[in-house]
Amino acid sequence: MKSMKNQIKITFFFVIFIFSFLFFNLSDVVAINMDSSRYRIQFGNINIAGGNKTSENYKLADTLGQTAAGKFQSDGYIVKAGFQYIHSIIPFRFSISNIDINFGSLIASTPVTQTTTLTVYFGGAGEYQVTAIEEGPLRTLDDANNIPDTNCDGGEEDTCNEDWAKPWTLNSAYGFGYRTDGDDVPQAFATESSHFRPFPDRTSAEPPAVVMNSADVGKNRQSTFTFKINVSPIQTAGTYQTVINFVATPSF
Amino acid sequence: MKNDNLKLKKTFLIFFFVIYIFSLLIFNLSEANAQQVSLTISPPLLELFIKPGKSVLIAYNLENLGDPAILSTKVLPFVPQGNQGGIKIKEEFAGPIRFYLDNANLKLDDPFFLKTKDSQQLLLRIRVPEGTPNGDYYYTLLTETKHSKGTEGTTSSLAKATIGANILITVTESGQVDIKGKVAFFDVTSRYKLKLFGQIFNFIESTDKVPVVLILENQGKNLIKPQGEIDLLGNFGERAKFEILPQNILAESQRLTQATPSAEIDCNNNRKEQACLFPTSLVLSGFFLGKYRLSTSINFGEGTPNIFAYVTFYAMPLKFILAILSSITIVVFIVKRVRE
Repeated sequence: MKSMKNQIKITFFFVIFIFSFLFFNLSDVVAINMDSSRYRIQFGNINIAGGNKTSENYKLADTLGQTAAGKFQSDGYIVKAGFQYIHSIIPFRFSISNIDINFGSLIASTPVTQTTTLTVYFGGAGEYQVTAIEEGPLRTLDDANNIPDTNCDGGEEDTCNEDWAKPWTLNSAYGFGYRTDGDDVPQAFATESSHFRPFPDRTSAEPPAVVMNSADVGKNRQSTFTFKINVSPIQTAGTYQTVINFVATPSF
Repeated sequence: MKNDNLKLKKTFLIFFFVIYIFSLLIFNLSEANAQQVSLTISPPLLELFIKPGKSVLIAYNLENLGDPAILSTKVLPFVPQGNQGGIKIKEEFAGPIRFYLDNANLKLDDPFFLKTKDSQQLLLRIRVPEGTPNGDYYYTLLTETKHSKGTEGTTSSLAKATIGANILITVTESGQVDIKGKVAFFDVTSRYKLKLFGQIFNFIESTDKVPVVLILENQGKNLIKPQGEIDLLGNFGERAKFEILPQNILAESQRLTQATPSAEIDCNNNRKEQACLFPTSLVLSGFFLGKYRLSTSINFGEGTPNIFAYVTFYAMPLKFILAILSSITIVVFIVKRVRE
């Protein structure tokens, strides 16, 4: 009887211990942040017109306010510059750390990589993006020969394209491609460090690829671009060049 | 002898002097830097409501924070891409709107030189010819670098940098604008969903962050800006309001709206969080218990009709309940074994 009571006491304290352990290790209660660092409202909307409208065509007075509508009637236009609802303390800025990606003299079946860093400062709401496109493949000045875009390691599983990055690890896999690491880069590169993909080619009417984008206000968002090239033993000797056009645009 | 000593001293002095100058030069040479590009443009966004037959002059400020560069500007149309405010720039100019630079020494597409830390004001004239149909026209003012030739005799890839600033133009003769907005999607992206009797029940772990998605659709021919809020009402009467940012929704497109204040999540270290798996409008953070109702009320300007939507979710301390049940099971098992 006594041992039974002891067992029940032990069991009871065990349960309390587990209960307390779990309860006091729950993640902290976080009050809803009422003062977000993401946005600071500079001023509210300027609508002052009233009255119900049944038509789907509305006057500018309804969306911009009477004052603005009056100006529209007298001057014929209204201009609004910047992101109106945000006190944007971060201007839109785009930088490339090195625009001359020099691979030097290439040796067959010996991959070479070079890097450059893209940096974006974006202070508006909505998505900024940086796209990249090559102005034709790597080719000699006389256009007679070119180094093709990479297919990565090839085969059913490891063939990459402009949309899909795949492993490129074999010295017998030839071509030209890239990968990105850092802030706001495509998910395809975020988890696999050996993945590459080719640039879309404007001369083949391929659309630009998004290489950086984010919907958050951001300062000093950086990505490291790694260019990789590997030539085959039968590649004609020569100087090959191409231009990669990086276009950075803010959202609307 | 004395003369010899003097000569030796002079030689040593000259020698050390040369070494000194040499060292100064070697250790004070500046690093060789690759050519870099860094451009800023302001304003990044322009909205223009204008009558046909009118023109406006807009001053843009372009600043070069990198190495000296040769630049040129052009204007190309764009269309919205996706629902997060992305754009797709078209290859060729199209549309009735006319763009010029009013600068005395600059024209669109003509190259100009900009030194480091120098800025250039671009006076962009936007002209809407008479007879231009009412509607929206969207463009981007692009400034691009002119690439240099690569190094002779080596294979290279030259990077060209282009920075854009968007221009949204609504042409309206009478001042009438077409407003047709609707809620395309409003839901919480909960980990656990249960379908019962034709209804979907959202279940959230009490301590998890709650991602909310609100997508608005513009079915009209002019851009619209939502005004409104998302309202959270809890089981015990607790309430929180989140203001919807009046971001532009372009004609005949959808946009994932943003509401504020929103909780932040470090998605680099929390990749499996629901809010990191999909783009979200709002993230709720706190300790939730019971039934919650999220509702949204939006209009597109004073006098325009309100549109409504709502979603409910249930929050339970699922992890805690699971832990208690496991503990009780273990205790019962132990007690049974001890009795035996």
